[in-house]
Amino acid sequence: MAHMALAVEQAELDSLYRDFHIEEVEVTARALAKDIIVPQTLKGAELERLNALSVADALRYFSGIQIKDYGGVGGIKTINVRSMGSQHTAVYYNGVQIGNAQNGQVDLGRYSLDNMEEIQLYKGQKSDIFQSAREFGAAGNVYLTTRKPYIKTGERAHVRAKMRFGSFGLANPNVGVDVKLAEGLSINLDAEYVYANGKYPFRYRRVLPSGETAYDTTAVRQNGDINAVRTEMGLHYYYRTTGFWRMHVYNYYSERGVPGAIVNNVWRNGERLWDRNTFVQGIWQEEWFDRWSTRVLFKYANDYTHYKNYDERLLPSDNEYLQQEIYLSLANKVQIFNWWDVSLAYDYQYNTLKRDEWVSQLTDQCFYRHTHWLSAATALNIKEYLRAQASVLMTHITNDKSQITNKPKVTPGVFLSFRPYPAIDLSLNAFYKQSYRYPTFNDLYYTDLGNASLRPELARQHSVELAYRKASNKYDLSFSASYYYNRVTDKIIAYPKGQQFRWTMLNLGTVKINGVDAKADMSFYLPLRFVLRTRLNYTYNTAIDVTNQNDTYYGHQIPYIPWHSGSFVFGLDYSSKRGDHYGLSYSFIYVGERYSQQENIIYNYVQPWYTHDLTLFGEWKIQRYGLKANIEINNLLGQDYEVIQNYPMPKQNVRCTLAFTY
Amino acid sequence: MHARFHILIFVLCSLLLWSCRGDEVIYPTIGTHVTDDVREGGLYVLCEGNMGSNKARMDYINLEKGDYYSNWYGAMNPKQLKELGDVGNDIQQYGGRLYAVINCSHKVEVMDLQARHIGKIDLPNCRYVAFKGDKLYVSAYVGSAADPELLGAVYEVDTASLMVTREVKVGHQPDELCVVGNKLYVVNSGGYLTNQYDSTVSVIDLSSFTEIEKINVGLNPTRIRVDEQKRLWVCCQGNYKDIQPQVVIIGGPRIETPCANISIQGATAYVMDNKNKQLRAFSTIDFTEQTLPIDISAYENPYGLLATNEALYVTDAKNYVSSGVLHCYSYDGKEHWNAKTGDIPGHLCRVTGAYDIHGDTTHQDTTRSAYISRVYEYLPAMGQFVNVLPKYEEGDDAETMCRKCEQALVNNAGGTVTLGGWGGYITFGFDHAIENKEGRDIQILGNAFLMSENEAYGSSEPGIVLVSRDENQNGLPDDTWYELKGSLYSEQQYISRTYTREGDTLQNPFHQQPYYPQWITSDQYTLYGAKLPPQTEIINGQYVQRILEYGYVDNKPNKDIEGTSFDISWAVDTNGQPVSLPSIDFIRVYTAADEILPTTGELSTEITGAIDLHINI
Repeated sequence: MAHMALAVEQAELDSLYRDFHIEEVEVTARALAKDIIVPQTLKGAELERLNALSVADALRYFSGIQIKDYGGVGGIKTINVRSMGSQHTAVYYNGVQIGNAQNGQVDLGRYSLDNMEEIQLYKGQKSDIFQSAREFGAAGNVYLTTRKPYIKTGERAHVRAKMRFGSFGLANPNVGVDVKLAEGLSINLDAEYVYANGKYPFRYRRVLPSGETAYDTTAVRQNGDINAVRTEMGLHYYYRTTGFWRMHVYNYYSERGVPGAIVNNVWRNGERLWDRNTFVQGIWQEEWFDRWSTRVLFKYANDYTHYKNYDERLLPSDNEYLQQEIYLSLANKVQIFNWWDVSLAYDYQYNTLKRDEWVSQLTDQCFYRHTHWLSAATALNIKEYLRAQASVLMTHITNDKSQITNKPKVTPGVFLSFRPYPAIDLSLNAFYKQSYRYPTFNDLYYTDLGNASLRPELARQHSVELAYRKASNKYDLSFSASYYYNRVTDKIIAYPKGQQFRWTMLNLGTVKINGVDAKADMSFYLPLRFVLRTRLNYTYNTAIDVTNQNDTYYGHQIPYIPWHSGSFVFGLDYSSKRGDHYGLSYSFIYVGERYSQQENIIYNYVQPWYTHDLTLFGEWKIQRYGLKANIEINNLLGQDYEVIQNYPMPKQNVRCTLAFTY
Repeated sequence: MHARFHILIFVLCSLLLWSCRGDEVIYPTIGTHVTDDVREGGLYVLCEGNMGSNKARMDYINLEKGDYYSNWYGAMNPKQLKELGDVGNDIQQYGGRLYAVINCSHKVEVMDLQARHIGKIDLPNCRYVAFKGDKLYVSAYVGSAADPELLGAVYEVDTASLMVTREVKVGHQPDELCVVGNKLYVVNSGGYLTNQYDSTVSVIDLSSFTEIEKINVGLNPTRIRVDEQKRLWVCCQGNYKDIQPQVVIIGGPRIETPCANISIQGATAYVMDNKNKQLRAFSTIDFTEQTLPIDISAYENPYGLLATNEALYVTDAKNYVSSGVLHCYSYDGKEHWNAKTGDIPGHLCRVTGAYDIHGDTTHQDTTRSAYISRVYEYLPAMGQFVNVLPKYEEGDDAETMCRKCEQALVNNAGGTVTLGGWGGYITFGFDHAIENKEGRDIQILGNAFLMSENEAYGSSEPGIVLVSRDENQNGLPDDTWYELKGSLYSEQQYISRTYTREGDTLQNPFHQQPYYPQWITSDQYTLYGAKLPPQTEIINGQYVQRILEYGYVDNKPNKDIEGTSFDISWAVDTNGQPVSLPSIDFIRVYTAADEILPTTGELSTEITGAIDLHINI
């Protein structure tokens, strides 16, 4: 067990020196490090094959999640894991959580896939006890891992250049360089620019019950432009097989229009948003005496947001926000016996928010928060049959202006994996976990709306899963199905204060979630070097409001949670003898009917939507030069749909990418 | 392997079948019988809906049958693009129309009493509406030009043309307003300025349309109503912290009470104490509190309030993001019925008409419409409102322009059609022949008005009326035309004039669109008819016209029914000989004035509707 994590790192190290054809090695490594809760993963070539521009687009291919998408290249995209609310989902960038103390949401539309090596989604938590304390804290976790330098022995550097064009005036160049500085020490740089005018046609058509057209109008989305620059630098040093450190510097700047809701008589909005996100983070890991592993993480983040409304019909808003975050983590794991591991981790984070709001004349308001996490975890392996983990996390948050004394909160988690026939890769997994979603600065202090005496919102998850995998040199099949029951209590919601349209945040709400996730990944290695890959995901879930029997929406599905959703991906790849690749990929995404508000009545009904997307690609190699071309057609049939009501989504659109590698 | 694959395909296909997305059908209207306790007329309920949801909804209850209809506006106007709009903020009846202020759609929706769309007035961030004479007054959080101090405005709008006539800047975030005498009072809430609420009422003189005074009332005033003694009751919300809400009676006492809403009926003011969830009643004579046995303590969020002589209507907005409830009480405290409404039922408007879902009113002549039903021809002469009233859009032709005129005029929709300068005309008809009976037969509406100082003058842009019978029975206006002889017939001069596209040079900096009708494909066209001698004079520095005696369209104000009505017996042939017509099928009106003024451009006849005077409306 002690060698599990190390084996992963070892595999990483190995892969640093290997070529592209390392899939078998990866399979072995994965088998060794197998999680109790199998994550859903998209990586490498598979990721490139999808019709996806951002991380949010790629996450649509996972089961058990719900996406909110306000449309366009610059529109906000957030995810919900198993209907618990996007603030229960933590997003990690190279192992360190991306924070947003202001509103607790991470806009996944901003994270480009160009520099991404792997995206993983863990329900519950990453079932590896050697992790930072904070990672035990969220109900759902998305891990984003950027590409590491792949430099073979005898090589010195790699260069990548990519150009992407597409509908809505999209121009998206990207360059990356990997350089080996010394043995074990390498650096990678990546830069990307995104421009899109965001002008896409959308159509509203309604019919009378008789079938006669009531209205049918097509307009062009306005104020959806975006201009963004991302630059990243990674420094990787593997000084021993057991020890390494990595540093990562990230900078993102964007200016965008916020296209807003399309309502009667309003076809254009005037909100603009400027963002600058900068962070520096590092990780250092070492193993002592073969039994004791230590990992240290640190991060400093500085995020600036400027919001301005130019719509002359509204009062002018001009708000600025500056958030800073300092984060430190120390995790230790000790192998007591080769079947028993224990770990202890402590994290500390300091957040500040400075707010300037011009119209309400609130300037220079500052808010502070200290957070301490302390975790203890243990893992047991009983032969090959049973693996068990248990963790307990204590979280203590102090807000400078909070009116209540925050007691530390303790949340447990238990994970079990039972494998009845060691010869067969069939496992029965189960977990129970509690997690809190803590009030954000907005919940606590938002002008007139904040409520400084909020309690954290509690999610209790129960889940069982049956997973099966069978692989040979002809195929690789994996299936899994899970049933879960979640209960969210003390849900933080906005509630009218009982005075003229004044809202406040209250711990008012209980949601009962029951669901089934199922997925099937199947690859077939066909004759003539063809490979057929399919991926099928399906989610059924009910998320029922059980707050108060007297509410008209008691027992109703909560807003924007579809009962049914799913996706299907079908890909056919061909490799020529000299190493060229060609591929075709088709994907279908389906989100079923749902309601836009708490009451499940016809006035709040939102129709299902489904899109058909197609990708064609070719990859050629001439000595050490590589060329790759890719055409994506999204929403092939041009469905007019909305994910969020009054935010129309694009009709058919196209992206073309040309990439050059050396 | 293959079997498994087939299963996969089967699963996929069934997914596709069970999931398909249909046409998006308009929101339905659902009728529910809620009471057998019947009264006269009906009641409109404007539900606000949450910002960005586009769920403003107008419900209606037919009180004569006890039937409550959700989304009544949708049933009356299924073809309105994106429905009623975003955040309904006020609804009022005035004259034969309903006006609904839709805040985040930045418009005032103008409807007939059955809530059928007539037109809209685009006003930024509009809040509430009040009326006087042929004008409506709308408070708005922003003026037409951005204001550095974030002051709001009140707009004056003409009820006939639905065009803004004047604007005045007031205080911060003006809300309710009311007219008393020749003065308009508007509360300045300052609701956006969290720490610096406004506390004044702006007084606007309606003649000069300027703010003449600011009265200090109390912090954060949001509502203002007038009682029978013409005293003003102002609801001040305080700062929701240490400064308490109060009702301030201008020139009277202050009453410390939460006052989310107020409604005055007879000699009693009903005040909604939303904090303690109770309704309070105060005498408007001695301001003493009276007992009111209505219990609203079980409400989640008391919100809307309307006191009428027969009942008290109170709404519960629940949690603001789900359906509310409308309750009807008699003053003895008995709840007669309640009905489920849309989201945030905030605004109530009692009307005398009782309508069913087909839009028929029990009191109406349903077989024949008293109003224009069809526009056959529309050819304006060049003019400053041509291509605007109605609006020309790329791809329009003569036919679609006629349809746009119909949108403005049919069923007294209240829109305006300009005929441009001299000679421009429109031809329209009704769904029946208009009989030539004793006295005047038909009223044709325009936008003329009189000078208040001297009623012999005003804004008069006279047009001549021609009538015709469908002699060949082909349903088209291709028969002999007869002129209805007006008072200045002897001075009319018969001419023709050719307008050319080349001659379309901008003459007025305020109207910079092309003046040549853009849907005409040829580069010139010729018009025929009579022109009137010039009538313009300068009085008090204003260009005004002498009002003609009778027989011309757009010459006298619409409220002067006789002055805007015509008798078919006035018909003459081209030789000036009287013709006896038992009835007529077609009417043509053309601009007979031929004057271009330095400041206001050419005189052009405007049509805003026509009425068959023999049908009871």
